[in-house]
Amino acid sequence: MNMLEIENLHVVVQGQEILKGLSLVIRTGEVHAIMGPNGSGKSTLSYTLAGREGYEITEGRILYQGKNLAPLTPEERATRGMFLAFQYPVEIPGVTTMNFLKTALNAQRRARGEKELDAMSVLKSVREAASALNVPEEMLRRALNVGFSGGEKKRLEILQMTLFKPLLAILDETDSGLDIDALKLVAGGVNALRAPDRAMLVITHYQRLLDYIVPDRVHVLDKGRIVAEGGKELAHELEAKGYAGLARDAA
Amino acid sequence: MHPRATGARNHTQCDSLLIGKECGAHTVPYIECRNPSAQIEHEATTSKIADDQLFYCLSRGIGQEEAVALIVNGFCREVLQQLPMEFAVEAQKLVGISLEGSVG
Repeated sequence: MNMLEIENLHVVVQGQEILKGLSLVIRTGEVHAIMGPNGSGKSTLSYTLAGREGYEITEGRILYQGKNLAPLTPEERATRGMFLAFQYPVEIPGVTTMNFLKTALNAQRRARGEKELDAMSVLKSVREAASALNVPEEMLRRALNVGFSGGEKKRLEILQMTLFKPLLAILDETDSGLDIDALKLVAGGVNALRAPDRAMLVITHYQRLLDYIVPDRVHVLDKGRIVAEGGKELAHELEAKGYAGLARDAA
Repeated sequence: MHPRATGARNHTQCDSLLIGKECGAHTVPYIECRNPSAQIEHEATTSKIADDQLFYCLSRGIGQEEAVALIVNGFCREVLQQLPMEFAVEAQKLVGISLEGSVG
């Protein structure tokens, strides 16, 4: 079954067309990578999938689990198992990380008609996820992302992914700003979540991350369209030739 | 400042959070001082709920109203937590009530 089907997607942001006929299919259980230079539309794709306001689909469609995604609000998408790990996680002063996690987890459960978890059960699941990702307790008591280092912010994104158990996880440049140890830790967290009923879309600039999270398919995005597709070896080819070299070969 | 409050210090801080597109904040500090040895400070900031804060909450499955309440309560927390318990609880409820239906 297909987790995600994107057909001829055109997206306009502030009057400018960023995605220009992007097509992509991710089957359940697969991990796909999207690589592309700056300004190719990678983040626009992730925000469009998550349903951010101001990202207007002018043509084409997105099917999530076989259903049209467009009418769903961002919170409905989250409740139905979609998760976006942000490239730049947002700071919310005065809201402790633990409180944020509990609020989000219970909002999702409520929307799905499940019983809300009490503080102790939340604490237990958060602690489990936190220890695997080397997230100290002290970080959970601080305000969400306020004063966190780049690595801490990214680890917290993966912690949320572990906690929410999404069906489709989109990782928007999760590797940016990470040193090699943090990268391995984050990749380990992602790999632990690979499952037959889950799909992932890993968006990245560099092939480095894909040494640790080995994708089933690699797509190269340029100027709003997929210009090359292949197996994991495509990432290495890209690293050797650069985006410009690949574009020449394709032409 | 009382005339006999020699060497007294004061710090007044006004932080405003704008909710919605059609609002503004005017902060007018007024401090009366009758002792020249007093040190007086006043600080004011105005911020608004950023779109990216709201979208981040929504993308985690938190609904619009709950997200705004969460962000506003976070903003008020520093002040609220310094109030005695019974006031703090009441103040938090008041924030919740005044936000109800304010986001469309």
